[in-house]
Amino acid sequence: MDRWWSDGTERGGVLWGGVIAIVATGAFLGLFQNALVRAGDKDDGLAWKYEPPKLQTLEEVQAQAQANGGSTPTPAPAPADPNDPLQMPTNLAGVDIPDVGRPIEITIKTARGLVDSKGAAIIDAREAADYAAGHIPGAVNLPFDEVITDPARLEAFDPKGKPILVYCGGATCELSMKLGYELVRLGKKRVLVYTGGWPEWNDMKYPVVTGTSPEGA
Amino acid sequence: MAALDFVRHPTVRRIAQLGAGVIFLAAALPKIADLESFAGSIHNFHMDPVVPMALTNVLAVTIPWIELIAGLALIANVRPRAGAVVYTVLMTLFTVAVIAALARGLSFDCGCFGKSDAANLGAKKLLENVGMLALGVVAALERRG
Repeated sequence: MDRWWSDGTERGGVLWGGVIAIVATGAFLGLFQNALVRAGDKDDGLAWKYEPPKLQTLEEVQAQAQANGGSTPTPAPAPADPNDPLQMPTNLAGVDIPDVGRPIEITIKTARGLVDSKGAAIIDAREAADYAAGHIPGAVNLPFDEVITDPARLEAFDPKGKPILVYCGGATCELSMKLGYELVRLGKKRVLVYTGGWPEWNDMKYPVVTGTSPEGA
Repeated sequence: MAALDFVRHPTVRRIAQLGAGVIFLAAALPKIADLESFAGSIHNFHMDPVVPMALTNVLAVTIPWIELIAGLALIANVRPRAGAVVYTVLMTLFTVAVIAALARGLSFDCGCFGKSDAANLGAKKLLENVGMLALGVVAALERRG
């Protein structure tokens, strides 16, 4: 009992001392390691205060590209009634979608335009059953749980030179964001995350198809 | 009681300690290698305000190292009982977090897929956690004599 390392007979004060020692050592090492990494480069390691992940929007990316003296993006044609999402331009061929090496968040307006003009390759990241019950026309079903462990399936996804639009099942859907990052990691260009996802699209009564094929059964 | 005698057997307890230690090492190392995604996982549990969101990163940097030290203690047989107590307490907290996520209909990964999926994935995870928790209790049992 008086050996510091004990052999499993420790109890009472010795036991709790050991518990506190383990927790304190672990916590210290973790904090120390992170502080050390951050002392080297502030962008490495974790910030002490957590910020929820957030993607840049297409508008922010385009404004930034313009500010950096890049090519001036062609503005989308103005809708007849900006308050009515159904009055959106149906052809977004003129909209410049830059490749910024990370996913870009898009709104329902941009999503609708890209769907109508078939200007993007669409990935539905939900479960197969949800996909069959209804999806955005043209969307290919790549369930997140399946493809995240099988990057070959994602790598084989060919957007045919178009931007890739990813969506899933929730307004705060973090899976489409993760999938977006995974696509970028695999070398895909111009990955767009439609964060409103299926619920928003469906609520808007936008066109949907059912069945297991992209264009519907 | 025969069952209690069995779980109190030194060999059984030692095996439980080794098993728990290996589980914690296997859990700690990938997390230490990728702290960012572990922070994301903690965030996905949406434990705010019980665990303030601002603390997410502090938890993310400390928990894996506590797991690592506890795992090493269990495997190396250095203060294994203390390691087992740390293991059991942490595992209890994780299990409570999974139950809380399930109760709110969150899938433990993100909460954006259907509820049936969340239940499936969650029930399996829950069972896993209860099993690992039982291992910790066996490993922490007091040595007789």
